[in-house]
Amino acid sequence: MSQPLARVDAFDKVMGAVQFGADRVPPGLAHGALAVATIGRGRVVRIDTSAAEAVPGVRLVLTPRDGGELASAGFVMAGGHGFQSLQPLTDDHVAYRGQPIALVVADTPHAAAEAAALVQAEYEAEPLSVDLDADGVEVLDQAAVIPAGFFPDVDVGDADAAFARSPVRVDSVFDCPPQHACPMELMAAVAEWNGDTLTVHEATQNANAVRFGLATQLGIDVERVRVLSPYAGGGFGNRNSLQAHTCLAAVAARRLGRPVKLVVPRSQMFHDASFRPASRHRVRLGATVDGRLQAAIHEVDQQTSRHDLFPANYVEMTSRLYGIPNFRGHQRLVRTDVQTPGYMRAPHEHPAAFAFECAIDELAYATGRDPVDLRLANDTGTDPVSGRPFSSRHLAACLRRGAERFGWANRTLEPGSMRLADGTLVGWGVAAGAYPGSAVPTVARLRADDDGTVSVQVGGHEMGQGIRTAIVETVVRDLGVAADSVRVDVGDTAAVPQHLTAGSWGTASALPAVHDALQELRRSLDLPPTGAVDLRAALAAIGRADIEVQAETRAPGQPPEAIDRLRRGAMAIAGPEFPTFTAFSFVAHFVEVRVEPTIHRIHVSRVVSVVDCGRVASPVTAASQVGGGVIWGIGACLREGSEVDPRYGGFLNADLAEYLIPVNADVPRIEVDFVDEPDPHLNALGVKGLGEVAMVGVAPAIANAVFHATGQRQRRLPIRLENVL
Amino acid sequence: MLTTRPFTYAAPTTIADAVALIDTGGPGTKFLAGGTTLYDLMKLGVETPAAVVDLGRIPELAIVDTTGDQLVIGAGARMCDVAEDPVLLHDYPALAESLSLAASQQLRTMATVGGNLLQRTRCAYFRAGAPFACNKRDPGSGCAAREGIDRVHAVLGVSDSCIATYAGDWAVALLAFDALVDVVGPGGERTLPVADLHREPGDTPQIEHTLAPNELIVRIRVPPTDTGRASTYLKIRDRESYAFALASAAVGLAVDGDVVRNARIALGGVATRPWRARAAEESLIDAPVTADTARRAGRIAFADARPGRHNGYKIELGARTVANALLIAAQRSVR
Repeated sequence: MSQPLARVDAFDKVMGAVQFGADRVPPGLAHGALAVATIGRGRVVRIDTSAAEAVPGVRLVLTPRDGGELASAGFVMAGGHGFQSLQPLTDDHVAYRGQPIALVVADTPHAAAEAAALVQAEYEAEPLSVDLDADGVEVLDQAAVIPAGFFPDVDVGDADAAFARSPVRVDSVFDCPPQHACPMELMAAVAEWNGDTLTVHEATQNANAVRFGLATQLGIDVERVRVLSPYAGGGFGNRNSLQAHTCLAAVAARRLGRPVKLVVPRSQMFHDASFRPASRHRVRLGATVDGRLQAAIHEVDQQTSRHDLFPANYVEMTSRLYGIPNFRGHQRLVRTDVQTPGYMRAPHEHPAAFAFECAIDELAYATGRDPVDLRLANDTGTDPVSGRPFSSRHLAACLRRGAERFGWANRTLEPGSMRLADGTLVGWGVAAGAYPGSAVPTVARLRADDDGTVSVQVGGHEMGQGIRTAIVETVVRDLGVAADSVRVDVGDTAAVPQHLTAGSWGTASALPAVHDALQELRRSLDLPPTGAVDLRAALAAIGRADIEVQAETRAPGQPPEAIDRLRRGAMAIAGPEFPTFTAFSFVAHFVEVRVEPTIHRIHVSRVVSVVDCGRVASPVTAASQVGGGVIWGIGACLREGSEVDPRYGGFLNADLAEYLIPVNADVPRIEVDFVDEPDPHLNALGVKGLGEVAMVGVAPAIANAVFHATGQRQRRLPIRLENVL
Repeated sequence: MLTTRPFTYAAPTTIADAVALIDTGGPGTKFLAGGTTLYDLMKLGVETPAAVVDLGRIPELAIVDTTGDQLVIGAGARMCDVAEDPVLLHDYPALAESLSLAASQQLRTMATVGGNLLQRTRCAYFRAGAPFACNKRDPGSGCAAREGIDRVHAVLGVSDSCIATYAGDWAVALLAFDALVDVVGPGGERTLPVADLHREPGDTPQIEHTLAPNELIVRIRVPPTDTGRASTYLKIRDRESYAFALASAAVGLAVDGDVVRNARIALGGVATRPWRARAAEESLIDAPVTADTARRAGRIAFADARPGRHNGYKIELGARTVANALLIAAQRSVR
């Protein structure tokens, strides 16, 4: 393999040839629009749809009065398929501002939107609590309310005693705001009935959940539902389960006998999909005078909704980041009046790393040790929680190589000690990150034709991360065929089962299945296990025009039932603890910030990121993913926060002008490097996850750089002008 | 709510026809220039015009002449074009910068320099509609921002009725240079200073400017000034591009030897309208521009500021922004 493969769908994307969910326009299409609640909590006591129904072109208005037709799909983290258990329009209850209370369907999108704005509701409002500190929230010990074994607290050694004994102690509190993923593609579904068979085109990371969830909600056989999601315009966890609008489109389409498209506008996306919940972290570190960690206590309060318990999973990563002999991790859930929060890129690992890695930097200063040296001194090859080895761990290599590339040796330790001639303060910061290695059962089907075409159908979703490119690259490397002779079909429930693609397991699950199918193909064609293949000749030799093979793969230690779970639409995630090892990806980020002399604007001027993701499956898309992750980290640290007005609930800055994601001008030079050592245990291809670990640790590296520049510790995100003025 | 209610549409080709259409159209008829604010607010349901009169087909409105003593800039000229005018770039950098730092290239390509003067506020409570009280959108309903998330709101020119920030940049720079606007109505043409164009909210925040509903801005004129060359527009915002100002300052200086003979300071992002800081200007006359005098001028500019719950930082930020802008302008005076 000489040249890394360019993104295989780049040309089609640039030419607009790729069909996203809402691009589908079947004949007779009708358009939906949602009316949403304007109170933060309470009840709809009356709803008047007469003005909406009078708008020309309106065909249908659904309200909670029609609720009998719909059931909850259940919460995805409690055995269901929905991003939350609450399905709007099933009753008169309002759980949060922005909750849909009516669906209008019309001949045009404009008529639908116009009519939706004319739906009049009267409410009985109740007091609401929307932030962690509000009166009226309910605080729960997670370990007591979520079944044992899932997202447990961590208790290794005696952390409290060891902390009390430690000569050097850090004790700090960190606050992370709610944030929204804001994928560029809006939420949208196109629902079409053909007799009693439903086809849904929708961008999702989890076509299985859409399919099985809809079958539950609509009370139909799952065999009668097909979901197609060939491309998603960004996922980031936002699309990792069934959202509430999809079944509304399906019900409307069934009622009208017409296909229905429902596109959820940006402001409503802030309320009709999950978000990264607010979290507060108290981190206590105890160390010897030379910085050897003796104890860590990481306590977290995380927001959830009234109706669901979105599990907190912060301490899983922080307990593995270093070889800390005594660790206590404790997580509480705080019920607030919001839609159920959920997974957003590096969902828990980003906030956890912000808290923990800033605290590590505080420890470095408390002990006078260089922050890179301190981290190297606390590295470990053994998972301190399970006592088993890591499948592979090259964090030290990430730190050393990053320090070398960044020029870390030229850093002076003292805050405020590096500045430019014009008085600009320069800060250099470092932070490490880790992300659990997981895998899911996957089915791959491979077909070779005597025209030289190789067609791959595999469980997985393309949301821009480049899974198609990685699959094509795998086939090309294995068979030696041309890239343009490989066809990839992902996200289609009619092909193979489509498990949730998330948690950075997409590539690490799909590629082993493709790999096994390739081996099966070779066996079926009487070919050796490696080496370039002449498919035409091989097919001719066995006298066939084509051949189709299938492979099923499971994560290490997963029982055969995992495949059954997959086929039943259930989740079957293994990791990061496997029977004989623990799997994590690792990263080290080095950041330079420049802080203006008087106004103190913070500019990120340079980033070096070195990643241990096992073998790099596709160099082009991998580098792009890391660059994107770093940009996410810049946004998460310096820009993004969803604003909550406690009087009203919901989110106030619900558009892309006021929810501040980074723009091109915010993005500095980002150097990306990979250790590129195959993981010997996780799968045959030696790949680990990449998409999320890329972001973990960016925020604390920036915050630590800001401290190095200014001498001010920033423990609340986002860090904005007023915080450093 | 994304909505576009039906409206009628006309596209006259002369100024006289445009004014006649708006005059006979009555209430609910709106001029449409670049559409970057009007269409946006129509989709949000905040603006609900019954009719729009599109000004985009009137060639006379787009005439720009920067070759004479005064700058003459047609109201229909595009922000992107005026931002690159060589005379503005060289002789009035504050004007050029105020345009090029606004919005995004895509928006500047649509938006006009006349329409931009009347850009409406970005107050989230104003834009979001129900359930938020907003005296500007719904007079008498109250102001949700005053006891709410007012981080980006104004500290100057505020009232009990409204603290919404004037969002534009261009009008701030024009104000610093005593620019004039020529407007045409059914009764003919009149001229008013940009300083008299915008209103403080007082008890009637829904009335944002002094134009009659049937008057049209046809051109902007900038009279000769000795403060143009040594000028700058410094815009401080939450990200490096594509954001509204948290604080901005348009500053122009005439420096004789070491001392200031003439100073212009106007503020954006901190006030309910483009804000001229005359006392700050006067503090610099006959003084050199140093870090101290610049900082003092900045403080004076905010002497009357009234902070809310989360926007108190704007007083210090604004003062430092003025000070930095003065230092940049002073450097330009010696080039």
